[in-house]
Amino acid sequence: MKDCTPGRIGNEAMNSIAYIIIQLIVILLAAPLVGGLIKKVKALTQKRKGAPVLQMYFDLYKLLQKTSVVSEVSSWIYKAAPYIVFATALTAALLVPVSTKIVPVLIPGDFIMLVSILALGRFFMMAAALDTGSTFGGMGSSREAMISSLIEPSILVTLFTVGLLSGSTSLPRIMQTVQVTGFPLAHPVYMMVGLALLIIIIAETSRIPVDDPSTHLELTMVHEAMILEYSGRHLALLEYGAAVKQLVFITLFVNLFIPHDQLIPFMGFGAVILSLLLYLLKVVLMAVVIALIEVNTVKFKLFSIPNLAALSFILAFLGILQFFILGGYHV
Amino acid sequence: MELLLHHLYLVSIFGYLLGAVISLGYLFVQKQNTGNMIVNAICVVASVAAAAASIGKIFTEVETLSIFSLQSAIPFITLEISIDNLSAFFVLALSILVFCVSIYSIGYISHYNGKRNIGLFNFLYVMFIISMFFVLTSANAVFFYISWEAMSLLSYFLVVFESEKEENQQAGTLYIVMTHLATACLLIGFMIIYHYTHSFDLTIAQNGAAIPEMARNIAFILFLVGFGTKAGVIPLHIWLPYAHPAAPSNVSALMSGIMIKTAIYGLIRFVLCYLGVQNTWWGIVILVLGMLSAVLGVAYALMEHNIKRLLAFHSVENIGIILIGLGVSYIAFAQNHLLIGGLALSAALLHTFNHTLFKGGLFLGAGAIQYAVHTKDIEKLGGLLKKMPVTGFMILCFSLAISAIVPFNGFISEWLTYQSLFANILPGQFGLNFFSAVAVAALALTGALAAACFVKLFGISFLGLPRSEQAANAQEVPKTMNIGMGILALICLGIGLFPLTILKLLDPVVGSLGGGSVFSQLQGGFMLVYYPLTVSPGIISPVALVLALAGIILFTLLVIRIVGGKYIEQKYGTWDCGFEALNARMQYSATGFSKPIKIVFRILFRPTRKITTEGDSFYYPESIEYATTVASIFEDYLYHPVIKRLQKFSQRTKYKIQTGSIHSYLIYIFAAVLLLMLYNRLA
Repeated sequence: MKDCTPGRIGNEAMNSIAYIIIQLIVILLAAPLVGGLIKKVKALTQKRKGAPVLQMYFDLYKLLQKTSVVSEVSSWIYKAAPYIVFATALTAALLVPVSTKIVPVLIPGDFIMLVSILALGRFFMMAAALDTGSTFGGMGSSREAMISSLIEPSILVTLFTVGLLSGSTSLPRIMQTVQVTGFPLAHPVYMMVGLALLIIIIAETSRIPVDDPSTHLELTMVHEAMILEYSGRHLALLEYGAAVKQLVFITLFVNLFIPHDQLIPFMGFGAVILSLLLYLLKVVLMAVVIALIEVNTVKFKLFSIPNLAALSFILAFLGILQFFILGGYHV
Repeated sequence: MELLLHHLYLVSIFGYLLGAVISLGYLFVQKQNTGNMIVNAICVVASVAAAAASIGKIFTEVETLSIFSLQSAIPFITLEISIDNLSAFFVLALSILVFCVSIYSIGYISHYNGKRNIGLFNFLYVMFIISMFFVLTSANAVFFYISWEAMSLLSYFLVVFESEKEENQQAGTLYIVMTHLATACLLIGFMIIYHYTHSFDLTIAQNGAAIPEMARNIAFILFLVGFGTKAGVIPLHIWLPYAHPAAPSNVSALMSGIMIKTAIYGLIRFVLCYLGVQNTWWGIVILVLGMLSAVLGVAYALMEHNIKRLLAFHSVENIGIILIGLGVSYIAFAQNHLLIGGLALSAALLHTFNHTLFKGGLFLGAGAIQYAVHTKDIEKLGGLLKKMPVTGFMILCFSLAISAIVPFNGFISEWLTYQSLFANILPGQFGLNFFSAVAVAALALTGALAAACFVKLFGISFLGLPRSEQAANAQEVPKTMNIGMGILALICLGIGLFPLTILKLLDPVVGSLGGGSVFSQLQGGFMLVYYPLTVSPGIISPVALVLALAGIILFTLLVIRIVGGKYIEQKYGTWDCGFEALNARMQYSATGFSKPIKIVFRILFRPTRKITTEGDSFYYPESIEYATTVASIFEDYLYHPVIKRLQKFSQRTKYKIQTGSIHSYLIYIFAAVLLLMLYNRLA
């Protein structure tokens, strides 16, 4: 395992720069695709043809061309929020490696910071929703506050558990460690926290049964209600930011619980390409799984979501207790 | 060097005393503005001296710096001031806060001009600062006790300063009763120590070895209750949400920012330094109390709509977070893991420091709102960001800091707390690991709820449409007030970006308490990852993070400019759902915002609501009154029953024992004397 300590300029710094560029390109290009895939799978299961997989790229392009309508009531928070939400999502993406074949030496954060960065974006999004003085914004903001505060303990306990298994809070380190554990989901500790993380993904990416991403109905919407007043490039950034955040969580799941880099025995340029392809394959699989979960469940009423969050938390907590009793692969 | 520091401290103390004398001089002067300006300017200078001396003290080799010692004719009472690293660290926090609050006060106090005696206020204010300074630096237990009492009484006078309001009187009474219950515990604790060591000297560390196990445990519990009450640990917190809002805002900032931290100082000074932590359960008790305070504190804060009460509950929460760090450090010290102990203690001390900064700032912000809008009720605010852009921006910064969001200082100390919990999970100690895991969850829940609460505070009061006429006509506050808040906000950001500077300062402090060096585990230097933190291999670098955020925003702006062309904006009203016009009553209120959380945690809040409608038709009432309440569990189930019993008991004794007959009183005296003589014979 490579040492993650910074301080030496040279090959490792070059590696890091390469890592940042590749990471950003992969995330930026793949993020809108995931949403498109989920929609396509949903359409196919409903015997519809559905929109093209690339639809979101067209939407984003079109939104960027449009005039932004800004409410007279709003202040600078409203206009700053889309940029902050997008930038925080992308910075969060820098902390979660898509491939461990290039070691990110200089990545300045761990999972505690990941949660905090996402909280920064969420803070501004919730504030901006209150900024227009619209009832919908307030409603979405208030619901988001409830859901996020119920989900956050379970995110941290989950990541804490996988962190304990490899003795580090740094995500690249943890991901490197799981490479040698074979198939982690077969281990009871990983299985529990994996399931917990799956529920977290559903909740954090505004999917059914927690939130309905495709309707604008006041009874159901959470995320959509918060961005209801937005238009033009602001809306594009918020949508893009949400897509990036969704991919970050999916990456977290697939690279923590279904590691793939151990399958590639060689190093170098080819290994990176192969690793990225395998990663994309896992993301596609995950998108299908999420779509199937969406098709097979119904939207919960708002006050059933705490039960789901509690389930996720209990799974994560059982995971950490099992770790204390059983230990991980590496203790 | 030592002589210089010595003189600097003396300058500071005498500066404050001079300020007190001058404000006394202005007691009977009609025009008090100049006096106010002079006194606050003196406070600013004195606090600069104290801050400089404290930083100097921490980096000198001398263990304790004796400032002065005045022997009095009365036995045990020695006015003795000496400063070691721990004291210096807390004095630093005190002086930074006093520096900013005093600048703020120049503008803030001016609205009392003509209505109140500013000379009296300033006298109490300066004496309060001196008393806190003495609490933090006194070298023997008796002088500590005297300063502690003085601090409590002076803060009581400041709480009831606006004495015509009945709520202030009640808050003051509750405060003084709770404080004295706590002080009684401290007094017994000091007596136990004296009984075994025959000394009130605090400078001798680890004197507790001479005290037998049982007495040491009792002393620990007494100190925990005594200091816990001052700190506002749940369930001893009940005075705090009443007393802090009652005081003028600059005093609330001092009370919440630093006065309740003197209790943390006391816990460290008397338990860790003096008694010495040998039992793991001490740490566990503190850890559990910390979790309880953190979660319940923020939960109650969410239900508050009085801005200062809300902030007061957040003090309870943050004391909880500090206690989590302190608890872990006691556990680690008891088990001889000095490095983990040092890490956890650094986390606790840093959070103490950070909380001083952002909570002080938030109370100053609340004062600014009160100054401009004349209300503490969030439901009557709204749209203030346009009227008070600077104040709004500061409150946004402090809100992010207290919610542990990057790149502000609150995140750094919570990160260290997480790291110490992470490091404290060791193989073969299942019970302790369980507590650490629960603490992680509690801390995460606290952080998320705090963020929700501050979105509510900031969003409802500063964004949207104004909900009252006063809010619509609000104006930005005087510059001095903004400067005071601005310096605090800058320090918050500075610590958040460059945490190693403050951690370097903390290392000698923690080292002098027996903890391992944390700084040696942290590294920095490389351009891009300037000031990264590394503990139990997790790396964060706030500077790199901010650079990344800024870079991405700039890049996004550039790409959007290329793809989307020039930014065209169209102003339009918010969609009003087809009604005629949007008005402020259609917005979400603070009550509505926190309602989902109230329903989710209904076991805790036990919400009730009352709807009364007027008018003939049920469907088209002329007016609706909606009232909702939240139960305060500790008051209803813990304090009120006790108070009721006590009242009944006193009623009964009034008739049976205190009869008014001189004969029976003589019998009581006789019996008492007899008992004492018997005791003396036997003992």
